[in-house]
Amino acid sequence: MHFFLLQEAAQHADEAVSGGLLSPSGGVMVWTLVIFIFLLLVLSKYAFKPITKAVEEREKALADAIEAAQRDRDDANRLLQDQREQIAAARDEAQKIIADARAAAEQVRGKLIEQAHGETGELLERARREIGAERDRAIADLRLEAIDLAIAGASRVIGKNLDDQSNRQLVQSFLASVPSSKLAPKAGM
Amino acid sequence: MLQAGPAIDIITPHITDAHAIDYPCLHTGFVCEMALPRWAPIHLGPVAIDMSPTKHVVWLGIAAILCLITMLMAARAHARTTFGGQRAPSGFGNGMEAFVLFLRNEVVIPNVGPKGDKFVPFILTLFFFILFANLCGLIPYGSTATGNIGVTATLALITFVVVEIAGMREQGRGYISTIVYWPHDVPVGVKSFMTFIMTPVEIAGKLAKPFALAIRLFANMTAGHVVLLALIGLIFTFQSYIVAPAPVAMAVAISLLEIFVSLLQAFIFALLSAVFIGQIRTATH
Repeated sequence: MHFFLLQEAAQHADEAVSGGLLSPSGGVMVWTLVIFIFLLLVLSKYAFKPITKAVEEREKALADAIEAAQRDRDDANRLLQDQREQIAAARDEAQKIIADARAAAEQVRGKLIEQAHGETGELLERARREIGAERDRAIADLRLEAIDLAIAGASRVIGKNLDDQSNRQLVQSFLASVPSSKLAPKAGM
Repeated sequence: MLQAGPAIDIITPHITDAHAIDYPCLHTGFVCEMALPRWAPIHLGPVAIDMSPTKHVVWLGIAAILCLITMLMAARAHARTTFGGQRAPSGFGNGMEAFVLFLRNEVVIPNVGPKGDKFVPFILTLFFFILFANLCGLIPYGSTATGNIGVTATLALITFVVVEIAGMREQGRGYISTIVYWPHDVPVGVKSFMTFIMTPVEIAGKLAKPFALAIRLFANMTAGHVVLLALIGLIFTFQSYIVAPAPVAMAVAISLLEIFVSLLQAFIFALLSAVFIGQIRTATH
């Protein structure tokens, strides 16, 4: 093993690049530059750009999604507010309609009652008038009948036919002198 | 059996670069070396650059390929499970997305500030490249490319250039004030004196940042391997199987620590790069 190391060291000494550990070799520097620039160009174009682009797109998509969610939530809130207002308005309107209907019904009822009252009065009035008329006619009829009866009665009494014009007028004038109030209750009965 | 043999440095060859790569085989020591091709240096004016691939270059390439495979697979898994960004990913795509998102949201954007998105691919590439290079050093027969000062210096220089360009683009003419110190609220005499003193400090501060980045990564990655090798070397120093369990146990612990250090150093490099970009973009003098 010792021999091998010796041999290897000797070989290395032959092949060592001029300069040693601390002095850079121009060839290595040029190679490094070439390799680095090649790597930079290829990796930028085919590795880092696609990855960064995808990441940026994803970041943008996320930001957009968050913004859209925010917007949707705001919209939903606004819609909900609108709906609530509409419901409240509808309720108010319904209340108003009910109140109006009630008032209208009340009014109609009042009117009908009034009308009914009016009709009743009118009917009563007419009935009264008719009764009055009937009574007057009955009184008039009674008077005529009374004349005939009075004359017939008187004829029997005096045994003589009193049926002449003058007698008849006499009784009629008598009866006319009797106020109808005296006859009315009887006729009214 | 203590023999005073010649002093052999087994650590330096393991942490320095070489023109050969190790691969597993059944020869003595279960390791074979494959020599890498040597090319004639390219002459650019007075400087000669030896572009021959070395062990660290090869492992840097392997790290880059692993990084590419992982991230492209992650991107595909991500695309398959997200349906064009409409859903959260799952599985592997999700795991990698967590890394990407963490670096983007917790490192780049808070430090670089507004319009930091532009720098996300750069910081992410830095992080994953350094991470894979660090982790490659923990694979048996692997080598830590980020334990090479040339590699870390280049990464730091790239960061330096990105930082300065970001400063120029953001500040326009105001960028000059990040180099030349020129206070606005003091008399001209004091101002000239302050400029004379502070401008070198500003420049030194500017250069110290990438220097610190390079040294930090290099030293951290190298130090871990030095410790590991030193612990394993104890067995050979004592030339005894009896002491072996203790260094091995310690080496296992250090290896576990190295996994954490790999992640931490990659993260620190990426984080500091983001911080430097942010600093220069908001610098006001």
